[in-house]
Amino acid sequence: MFLPGGVLTLLVILVPLALALYISLLDLDQYSIREWVGADFIGFANYVEAVRDSHLVHAIGLSVGYSALVTVGCLPIGLAAAVATQDRFKGRGLVRSVLLVPYVLPAFVVGSTWRIIFQPDGVANEVLGTSGLWLNGPRSFWALVIVQLWAGWPLVYLLAAAGLQSLDATVHEAAALDGAGWWAKLRHVILPQLRGPVSLALVISFLHNVNSFTLPFVLFGVPSPYDVEVLPVLTYVESFQNFEFGLSVAMAVVSLILVAIPMAVYLRAVRLDTGLGRR
Amino acid sequence: MNRRQLAALAGALLLGSTLTACGSDDDTASGDNSGVTLTMLMGVNNIYPEQQRAWFTEVSDKFKAETGASVRFETFASANDELTKIQTSVVAGQGPDIYALGTTFTPTAYATGAFVELTKDDWDKVGGRDRFLPATLGISGPDKEHEVGIPFASRPFVMAYNKDLLTAAGIDKPADSWDGLRDQAKQLTKDGAYGLAVGYADGFDPWKFIWAMTTQAGTPVVKDGKASLDGPNTKAAYQAYLGWLATDKVVDPAAVGWKNAQAIAAFGEGKAAYLPMVSASSKVSLDKSKVAGKYAYAVMPTIPPGATSLPSGGVAATSILSGDNVVVAKYSKHKDLALALLKQLTSEESQTSYYKTFGELPTNQAAATALGSDPALAAIVESAGKSLNTPFTGGWGQVQLALTNVVVQSIPDLSAGKVDDGKLAGLLGQAQSTAQEALDKAK
Repeated sequence: MFLPGGVLTLLVILVPLALALYISLLDLDQYSIREWVGADFIGFANYVEAVRDSHLVHAIGLSVGYSALVTVGCLPIGLAAAVATQDRFKGRGLVRSVLLVPYVLPAFVVGSTWRIIFQPDGVANEVLGTSGLWLNGPRSFWALVIVQLWAGWPLVYLLAAAGLQSLDATVHEAAALDGAGWWAKLRHVILPQLRGPVSLALVISFLHNVNSFTLPFVLFGVPSPYDVEVLPVLTYVESFQNFEFGLSVAMAVVSLILVAIPMAVYLRAVRLDTGLGRR
Repeated sequence: MNRRQLAALAGALLLGSTLTACGSDDDTASGDNSGVTLTMLMGVNNIYPEQQRAWFTEVSDKFKAETGASVRFETFASANDELTKIQTSVVAGQGPDIYALGTTFTPTAYATGAFVELTKDDWDKVGGRDRFLPATLGISGPDKEHEVGIPFASRPFVMAYNKDLLTAAGIDKPADSWDGLRDQAKQLTKDGAYGLAVGYADGFDPWKFIWAMTTQAGTPVVKDGKASLDGPNTKAAYQAYLGWLATDKVVDPAAVGWKNAQAIAAFGEGKAAYLPMVSASSKVSLDKSKVAGKYAYAVMPTIPPGATSLPSGGVAATSILSGDNVVVAKYSKHKDLALALLKQLTSEESQTSYYKTFGELPTNQAAATALGSDPALAAIVESAGKSLNTPFTGGWGQVQLALTNVVVQSIPDLSAGKVDDGKLAGLLGQAQSTAQEALDKAK
């Protein structure tokens, strides 16, 4: 039925979205927040400022770049873990649970822990035999990739493992009867079946990274080092440190468009929007 | 969900919004206030959590005995928490009646126009404007006629020094100039100890150094609505501050990743002779550390880098005016009661007991004078008197952030042991335009 879903969509999504679009056209700051409806209407000036005078373009490049890297990196690790824990062995339940630990830890805890690891006199430098900075300067980008990768790959593992569960045992048997080796089995039987869940995992992982605020915030703090000034942190600083609410909302709208693209592509691909799966 | 349930949901939402719209009517401090509850928002005290809870109860009980109304305290964990709460309350026109704010945040709060400007009558209801230490009123408003902040606690900055390390190096007293401090720090950097402990990665501390040095040099970063972040004195201040680690090598190289707490910890381990830019609240951790009983506080240098005496136009500020102000929300239905509560909280008796419990200095003149005779506190009380307010502009938050950002972006160079002149100039140019833009928007 249309009505309940329609009303909920209206209340939960469309009204706030319309408000956000409207606020992005206002000169809303600490001086006008109290009577925000009366803030000056300035058209697309916030968008122009965001693109021309702020670090927005740099932040978009950074966010998309590192999210893509992390997502691609998650794929082999997650798949390998799922395949490795597919067959029964003693202690499998325990291993499966432990593999999920990075994913279920709160981002705040992950950030604080890695912050200690990446200190100039911390474990990272000791283990890698390097010296110097990880949380600022060019290497901070890689620090962010490493930590997000560490925290993010179990999602791919989780969805791939779920996909493997639903594989029909008879298909395995048939493949075995046909004399398929493990590689052939993986390449021609298992992976094609996992395409759905794994591509969902990749889309979620990408969106999660583009939107991730807590981890970079805790890891690097604000003001953020230039090399890791990602989109959510930039938006946050404009709102809650610089009080440029209009500008910040304009940035948020841009990031919404940014995350909507892969989402739309994915929805088209799996036809979730029509409710009909494509076989 | 069927149509009827949906209607019920919509009804509940509507009802909720109308209920919140009708609060109780205005009232005065006298008369029957039973059933009235005032709400006050303040920062959670992580050092003395139990004492703070006990203090909340004590305040509410006492207030109830006097006025019949009770007080409910809400706490926030961080400045960001507080900001979010203020923003939502300001937009919604409802929320706590009273807010405790950090001093440097008062101008931003004032800029929202959401807090009561205190008239003579209002000040009288708090017990009179003259009950406060004059210095603590420095950031209550843009001028005497437009004050919103009632001083509640004072937390001036000083520096701690390790008495044993100084004696061993033959230094009889801490330097009064920044150059002198650097030279002493060089002398003190040996045997695994460093001259200074500085939290370069702290989100707040760095700008306070730059602010102090430029104010002392007579070229404050903001004056009459004009920013001067790219002037020679500002550059000299950054060079001095960054140089301690990069070129003078008097700070542990690991300090590029330190926040304030880590600098305090290093000093507490006896690994640094000086710990600049701390307040009296550091006493709690230091008294439990290895240097307990071996350290003392002194005011920070007041002679700017490159000088041997205070230049003309320079102000010998020892600290930013630091502490808490309380403000009353304009939307509060209980303004007079709120002022009555603040009268209770800023009385000599309450302020003395607050100091004894939490270690925060009184803003009440009589209570502060009584404490000044305690030698252990001498430096801190002295710094309270010589504190200078940061500029009263709604754009200050942005200026502060721009100042700190220069340090953040310089850290890679710092770590490589240099202060790159050209890069610093570029960063200062950016900071200048950000700051000026914010000041131009200020109303």
